[in-house]
Amino acid sequence: MNHFARFILNFFIYIAIVGGLIFGLPRFLSWSLQTPYPMAAVTSGSMWPVLNEGDLVFIQGGQALADLKTGDIIVWRGVDGQGFTIHRIAKLNGSQITTKGDANFNADSPIEYDQVVGRALTWPARLAGGGNKPVHIPYLGSITVLASNLQQK
Amino acid sequence: MEPGQTEQIIQPATKKRLRLLDKIILTILLLVFLFAFYVTLDANKYPALVRVVAGEDKIGVNPTDQALDFGDLSRGTSAVRRVAIENGTGLPLYVFAVRTGSIRTLIKLDKNYFRLPAHAADKIEFSVYMPASAEIDRVYDGRVFLFKIPIL
Repeated sequence: MNHFARFILNFFIYIAIVGGLIFGLPRFLSWSLQTPYPMAAVTSGSMWPVLNEGDLVFIQGGQALADLKTGDIIVWRGVDGQGFTIHRIAKLNGSQITTKGDANFNADSPIEYDQVVGRALTWPARLAGGGNKPVHIPYLGSITVLASNLQQK
Repeated sequence: MEPGQTEQIIQPATKKRLRLLDKIILTILLLVFLFAFYVTLDANKYPALVRVVAGEDKIGVNPTDQALDFGDLSRGTSAVRRVAIENGTGLPLYVFAVRTGSIRTLIKLDKNYFRLPAHAADKIEFSVYMPASAEIDRVYDGRVFLFKIPIL
């Protein structure tokens, strides 16, 4: 095989790997975390210092939604269907959930269970040294926010 | 040398001369390094700190112009510091600030990543708002680097 043919072959293998990661990873995460929204970007500092602006968090659906408890970080959708909020559960009251951002002084208005999109994936307690620490990738969410802003333009 | 013995000749390693492409790449890398070195050296560096105090509506100001010292703040209060920048050169500057340390996420800027025209002056406002989740008596500190890159 000559040099050029090898270069072309390597190029296509590289593209296939990158393409597989870009398109395959969200699908894999959707399947493994049982939600159509497996990732969310943090766009404000309301959960500081646990989550910072620009962090990317992973969201669990399915069974995780069945056993929500106070202290869990959840993602919920506004009543208008637009915009997501990532806050901690402050109170569970029948069919309603009250959340609050750690950095906020006031709790949010209560929401219904069906507004909840998922629960933030957390580290196992033995790895995180106890507590309810969400799995997050710093700065990666900024790329997602930038990409969605560009898409909206 | 005795008959039957073989002679091993060791030649000194010959110096491989750089090709034109290598020289061009090296020159570009050197220029990039020097440029980055200059920009880093020219950057304004400010230590930044804030202390969280117990109570409500408590603000203690430290009147220094040597650091971005936001003083003592209780939860729910905020403080502002301004930094004046002047472009004394004949070239426009691209200005941006980089925040480091535990105070990094607390400092907000009124503007960042902007162009400062030649022979112009401007001010950047740094503000800190103390959220409800700040630890009482903790000092959040770090550094702020103000980079100024000459642009054409």
